[in-house]
Amino acid sequence: MKLLLIVTALALLSACAVEPLQAWERGHLARPEMAWEPDSLRASQRDHVYFSKEASSGGASVGGGGCGCN
Amino acid sequence: MKQNERRNHASSTLLALSAAALAIPGIVSSVHAAAPAAEAELAYKASAYREADIDRSKLAAGSAARYDIDTHQLRFVSPLGRASDVAVDLSYETMSGASPWFIMPGSNGPVQVMSGASIEEERKDIQASVAHYFSTQSSAKVLLGFSTENDYRAVNVGLEASHEIPERELTLSAGFGYSDDEIEPTDPQMPDRIDSATRDSTTAYIGVAQVLSARTVVQGSISIVSNQGYLSDPYKKVWRDDLSDTVADSRPNERLQTVLGARLRHFVPNLNGALHLDYRFFDDDWDISSHTVNLAWYQNLPHDWQLTPSLRYYSQSQAYFYGPFFYSGRNDGYASSDYRLSPYGALSFRLRLERNWGQFSTNLEWESYRAAASLALDDVQLENPGLVEFDILSFGLQLHL
Repeated sequence: MKLLLIVTALALLSACAVEPLQAWERGHLARPEMAWEPDSLRASQRDHVYFSKEASSGGASVGGGGCGCN
Repeated sequence: MKQNERRNHASSTLLALSAAALAIPGIVSSVHAAAPAAEAELAYKASAYREADIDRSKLAAGSAARYDIDTHQLRFVSPLGRASDVAVDLSYETMSGASPWFIMPGSNGPVQVMSGASIEEERKDIQASVAHYFSTQSSAKVLLGFSTENDYRAVNVGLEASHEIPERELTLSAGFGYSDDEIEPTDPQMPDRIDSATRDSTTAYIGVAQVLSARTVVQGSISIVSNQGYLSDPYKKVWRDDLSDTVADSRPNERLQTVLGARLRHFVPNLNGALHLDYRFFDDDWDISSHTVNLAWYQNLPHDWQLTPSLRYYSQSQAYFYGPFFYSGRNDGYASSDYRLSPYGALSFRLRLERNWGQFSTNLEWESYRAAASLALDDVQLENPGLVEFDILSFGLQLHL
């Protein structure tokens, strides 16, 4: 059931019909603050803290290593 | 003939413009797959992490002062030939303080026994990656990392790939990672403490990013993580009332996690700012499920300043073998009183100020995080007394070489 939900959500997302943008229309998307992670050092430091203090972790990356057990 | 030439010229101009747009930092990581770093970049960040003292009304014994961590990070990114780039991340942390040990029943609810404030540790981590861009649509990246602490070593490898379908404004990404970890706890002579153990984890994910308009892009992803080996915490114990004593923290040797992610980036030209909205659903076979929402607003200000307030909400359910303490042993032998496996919610507020000086930029960021049972989505009967509160102050510098 869960897998079905996931596949459906992805199918809906990929089925969005979008007109291709021209190069000159990409100015806003190209701005640094529109990146998934504008500051990669902050993202890795923060992810490690949350990984050490919460039961959940993970996302769209393969992650790193280390314990941070305390 | 001349018409064809004009068309070809227009087409090559368009390609050049597209390539220029792709080469801008930001669009590379969020929207498109395939453009190597255009220039070398060096970034440094120093962070001070400070946990608040544990409330003395919740403290049975040990130090009230908790953990402090100072972190230094360095990142170097550089083009490597015409179609590749390389990135190296170094991290050095020093940690000191006390951490929760076990929980006892008290007259007004569970009370925490802390370790002595004698923990002194350091952690070094290096992550390196090389990305190759096969075309303007496809890229692949190989990652290798090594992390070491006084009592812990981890080696991780990874492979990520990305492919863009321009006519649909769609970018597909996938990754596979493996980490091999080894733990050798300090003070192995302590009762119930292991000498050494190993664990490993395997991660696989797929993601789809879709440009919805000239101002909006979204991403959905699924990630599966399989952990195997020693997954208990050798430094934590569990109070058994029937024994009037503690036993070792004991968790299953396998854990399968599923993570669903959704992210949105939306630019508002009238306000000259960008909205970030992230949601993550986490579920595992220890019965833990969680919801995480991140909301941030990147406000561009005059004279190249940028102010970013953000809010993070987190709520998790408990592991099936968790209890603040136990009146008797479980049939399966598992037991943990770790606050990280308890039911709670957490709220975090962040404020970031950044200034672009041209060749380099600087940023200052503060975060305040508080976890409490009352912040959980579900009702919680007994709050774990070890739940954490912390502040992080960071200073960052980014230099374009």
